[in-house]
Amino acid sequence: MTSMTDPVLELRGAAFTHPGGSGVSGLDFAIAPGEAVALVGPNGAGKSTLLKGLLGLVPKTAGRVLIAGSDHAANGMIGFLPQTAELDPEFPITLEQVVMQGRYRKLGLFRWPGRADRAAVRRALDAVGLAPLAKRRYGGLSGGQRQRGLLARALASEPVLLLLDEPFNGLDQPNREALIDTLRRLKRERVSVLVSTHDLELARQVCDAVLFVNREQLAFGPVDEVLTLDNVQECFEGVEVEVDEHTLVVPGHEGH
Amino acid sequence: MSLGDALFGAFAMPFMGRALFVMLVLAVVAGVIGVLVNLRGLEFITDGLTHAVFPGLAIGLALGGTAGLIPGAAVAALAAALVLTWLDRAGITSDAAIAIVLTATFSVGVIVVSRSDDYAGELEALLFGRVLTVPPEQLVPLVGVSLLALLAIGITMKQQLLRAFDPAGSRAVGDSALVLDLVLNAAVALVVVAASATIGSLLVLALLIVPGAVARLVTVHLWWLFPIAAAFAAIAAWLGLASNYAISIGAGVDLPAGATIVAVFVAGYALVLATALLLGLIGRPRAARAGEA
Repeated sequence: MTSMTDPVLELRGAAFTHPGGSGVSGLDFAIAPGEAVALVGPNGAGKSTLLKGLLGLVPKTAGRVLIAGSDHAANGMIGFLPQTAELDPEFPITLEQVVMQGRYRKLGLFRWPGRADRAAVRRALDAVGLAPLAKRRYGGLSGGQRQRGLLARALASEPVLLLLDEPFNGLDQPNREALIDTLRRLKRERVSVLVSTHDLELARQVCDAVLFVNREQLAFGPVDEVLTLDNVQECFEGVEVEVDEHTLVVPGHEGH
Repeated sequence: MSLGDALFGAFAMPFMGRALFVMLVLAVVAGVIGVLVNLRGLEFITDGLTHAVFPGLAIGLALGGTAGLIPGAAVAALAAALVLTWLDRAGITSDAAIAIVLTATFSVGVIVVSRSDDYAGELEALLFGRVLTVPPEQLVPLVGVSLLALLAIGITMKQQLLRAFDPAGSRAVGDSALVLDLVLNAAVALVVVAASATIGSLLVLALLIVPGAVARLVTVHLWWLFPIAAAFAAIAAWLGLASNYAISIGAGVDLPAGATIVAVFVAGYALVLATALLLGLIGRPRAARAGEA
């Protein structure tokens, strides 16, 4: 194997557990450069726990996690797109300044942003189509624009692996398409993507593989083989899911 | 006495000049750090520190006279910064728990002070400061403590702002929330120390809270917050000392200087708030502001 095809992310029997006891276990999958994986499961299935575990925010309690072949992620290799609802819209900060935060890890404590950093911010804003709004106050943007702004922040860090936590929640169609375009472009640039979502249609549109989790890993593999009704049923047990723009309710013992 | 005398001439006198110098250093540092206190919503911990410093001042005074004030306060403030950081992280922010800790430390301070010969005089000086009688030998430690606080914040500024805006994102890029909180709380503690020895431990809060609040009213531009807060604090400190001089010497009404300075700070805030309301900068519904951006 050459380094070009070595996995960017590889989990072998890994588990992440919150100090409170809840978590997600039995994680066994790998993501190659330029590959996009949809992380699918119902609310409370541990999707966010998995993403935060990869960032080192939730303790690893079993197995191995290799990022670019190493036990320790090098600085700035992982970009993260959090859910926007957690941020204070009254905070006095411009879109451009939010995107610049993506450069902080590379800058460290003692250096301040220079020309290369400003160029990276401009490229990231161009990539998500928000360059004209650079000087706007972040809190004044629409929900979809804020989401794309945070994506630009993740891009500005020039990651090899991008983690996205429910990026399509509450997005209107134009913002949704802009986000899908950006993800496709990232894949062409050999950036690997792990995106948690309820939206199976999205998984089919931009992802190469699907990872089903519900407290543990249920299935992992190429979209064509793994995105089956059986797997969806097993994973969701009576929760509404969206397929081909239709909402289905998967039969389960209780229903919601 | 002319206006010029009060605003400028008075500061030719050594004790007024020293008071102005100390207040300007303190105002600028407290203004800058106060912006972060405002953005982080740390008014609670700041209030806690101002109270917790009091026994340190009292013990320092009892052990070493006025030269013991700053070391005593520094020890108490840094210990309090550790305890309050821990309480905050442990999620123990109930008013009852904090009130018990704060009144306990305060009563220790009062008991220590009550053992001294000039009980009332010492108590007043510790609570309300002695800005007009700062001894020359305290200038270096006061400025040193202030600059140390400014340095700690300056070095971690990018990370402090990221933590204020996006706590999860801050941890995600590998910043330690514990370290950042300790640095900020210790910086606040150092300002409280420096200010306690000058305008008193009860009045410090105004210096840390008011300039940041004024800056938030005036601008939504992140990097303007800091110079605006510092400039407001410096001007208010100067006008506070000048009006105290004018009233005390010119009108013969002997007002405490620290309290006069704080009154000017609050009056300045009221003026800015009224202006902002009149100009319609604030007070409109959130939705309207979000829509126009």
